[in-house]
Amino acid sequence: MPKSNDYAILFDASHCTGCRACQVACKQWNDLPGEETFNAGSYENPPSLSAETWLRMKFTEGVEADEVFWDFTRDACMHCSSAACVEACPTGAVNYREGGAVTVDQGWCIGCRNCVQACPYDAIHYDEKKGVVEKCTLCYDRVSNGLEPACVKACPTGALHTGGYGEMRQLAERRLQELKAAGYKNASVYGLAEMGGTHVLYVLLKHPSAYGLPVGPVTEKQKVASGWLSAGIAAAVLGFAGVKWLSDRRNEVGGESS
Amino acid sequence: MTGEWGMYIVLYFWLAAMGGGAFLIALGLGDERTKRTGAFLAFVGVVLGALLLIVDLGQPTRFWHMLVSFHPVSVMWLGSVVLALAGLGLFLMLVLREWPVWLEWLTGILVLLVVGYTGVLLMVTARPFWSASPLMPWIFLASAYTTGAALLVLLGNRGEGLRRISFNFAIIEIVLVIAHLVWTYPKAQEAIQAALTGDLAWAFWGFVILGVALPLYMEAQRKAEALAALLVLAGGFLLRYFIVYAGQVGVLHF
Repeated sequence: MPKSNDYAILFDASHCTGCRACQVACKQWNDLPGEETFNAGSYENPPSLSAETWLRMKFTEGVEADEVFWDFTRDACMHCSSAACVEACPTGAVNYREGGAVTVDQGWCIGCRNCVQACPYDAIHYDEKKGVVEKCTLCYDRVSNGLEPACVKACPTGALHTGGYGEMRQLAERRLQELKAAGYKNASVYGLAEMGGTHVLYVLLKHPSAYGLPVGPVTEKQKVASGWLSAGIAAAVLGFAGVKWLSDRRNEVGGESS
Repeated sequence: MTGEWGMYIVLYFWLAAMGGGAFLIALGLGDERTKRTGAFLAFVGVVLGALLLIVDLGQPTRFWHMLVSFHPVSVMWLGSVVLALAGLGLFLMLVLREWPVWLEWLTGILVLLVVGYTGVLLMVTARPFWSASPLMPWIFLASAYTTGAALLVLLGNRGEGLRRISFNFAIIEIVLVIAHLVWTYPKAQEAIQAALTGDLAWAFWGFVILGVALPLYMEAQRKAEALAALLVLAGGFLLRYFIVYAGQVGVLHF
């Protein structure tokens, strides 16, 4: 679990207008180039995060009971307390920093891309030119100097907040109560149970799955444990079968010679 | 290189499993000469595989960063360490005139880990086609035994036990692959469609027909065993090709 004075960001979907000021501010502060992109049938753009886009707004749209809905969520690194990328990294280059931010030591990263395959949020990407991975730093260079993250500073509607984790969590719970009272029955807070608790929390108008977010408290360590368990059973079962088939042959050979 | 896990990884999975499988079966067969052959095959697979892995890195000259870290939760870290240690064990077995039993056991366990970790590596990712069923390590292990047996057959070892291993594990392997496709279908439809009818269909059906069905028929008929073994080896490559690429279908940026 994050500690109460860790850095944290709260995204409140009920205040978001999808203006993408955060997306642009992220590019500016981190000196990331624009991307040549394409129309994927939605205002959502670009269609996924990349080594050059660390934050984007995700648009979920459709029709429900003759009403058009258009929901916005933030799509960026969640700065997990039990982060799949950190657990997957074979060198420790992707690691937790003071205050819970997850960042990449690009002087130590070897470019194996195991973190890219592991992240459930698709928030860490490989930079072909540099040969290392790139991701949101939670504006570590800013927050460790007392400034707000660039995305939070740019938000014009108050949908993004920053502060200590404990404070952000309280604010999230309060917004949840207010939204429930206002009639949003399925309103939810996302990031409390997932990946050991995330340093970026979401207040959502619907259930997290309606925004395509992975739900569930399975951590990378548990996944790795079940992976090795499965491999262990496989090795035992298949090994036993193999030895049996080979020893049948030995008996036959023995039978022939006697 | 676009950042996806591509041909180098496919070749590594294939070579390490083929050589490793041959070594493990050779240990089971028990005679000194076959064991030495197996150790040689596994050594070649491990060394070539390690080179492929290093070339695949974004920063190949930094590969040693893995070996000076300690991070056993990372399947990739554990894999790199057992790969290095297995290479050492196999090297010792090749240069020693006689080796102690413990070295044989230790190297056997290390090689088993090399063959097994690749399946775990894929299973613990966020890619649904690799992770939505626990069968990835089973498939890779079964395939290591079929291709390992085929390699020994190809080198002139035609024992009855080897025949049975090769035949039975091929059946187990195809059953596991089908079970995996059914199991992961709800979460990995895009990947499975690519494998069955899309861009990867040539590899998938090549594996099923040329890599499993045809050699099984030939082995049952006791015809052209060397050719059947060659087909099994090619099938092992196609299996890994479609698995590695299908897992990454639909990912826009790596």
